[in-house]
Amino acid sequence: MKRIKNFVKNTFKDVDKVKRDEIILTVTESLTEKVEDLIETGLTEKEAIDKAVIEFGTVEDYFNESIKFEKKIKRYKTLSHYRNDLLFSVVGSAIIIGIVIYTNLYFTPDILWSVIPAIGILYWPLAILYTLLNKRSNKKEKKDE
Amino acid sequence: MISSDIIRGHLEIVILKLIIEEDRYGYEISNCITNRTNELFNIKEATLYSIVGRLEKKELIESYIGKKTHGGKRRYYKITRFGKAYYEEKLNEWHELKSVLNTLLEEKV
Repeated sequence: MKRIKNFVKNTFKDVDKVKRDEIILTVTESLTEKVEDLIETGLTEKEAIDKAVIEFGTVEDYFNESIKFEKKIKRYKTLSHYRNDLLFSVVGSAIIIGIVIYTNLYFTPDILWSVIPAIGILYWPLAILYTLLNKRSNKKEKKDE
Repeated sequence: MISSDIIRGHLEIVILKLIIEEDRYGYEISNCITNRTNELFNIKEATLYSIVGRLEKKELIESYIGKKTHGGKRRYYKITRFGKAYYEEKLNEWHELKSVLNTLLEEKV
């Protein structure tokens, strides 16, 4: 019966850890029952195990339906999400730059140091704009194909 | 041999029906399916166990450990009230589907 256990373990080795142990336990149990039944019908233990293993099928057979189900849940980030990201970054950086310029002019009007952090902060919306444009051209290419 | 893609959506109800008839264990179910269809369709163990596991999780069936005549232990499955109701509902759906397909495919214009 150890062969059955090893076979089941090996079949489901790539399954998500949370589900794996439970699946292995129940499937091993059911397959063992089957082997016992087959032995009763007159097969030797080796033949019975071979038959059970051959007829079992594959992991794909086990997960065929549940995989479809999980795919539905996954959501993709659409272009409008990226547009919202861009809007958020523009407003956010405008506020920060505003505060920096204000402190600069209020406390040290002689030195214009606020230009340097402002340039740094500008990279935030720039990076988002870059990804948005990339996504757009990707989409266009897909449409053209 | 019927392709398993076509029958897949209806396997749940088939298994529920077999369990409603009497309490059964895993291999008995697959045996029943093979015998009753004259080996036109046999269910892969992998598919069977995943469906049975799902039905149990949805509390449509329950399992208990029972004994076989020869002393070996068997995990038997039993239908619940909830499962019976679900079966009736699915059975109605099946009758509808059958009549729809019948009118579309069989009847002459």
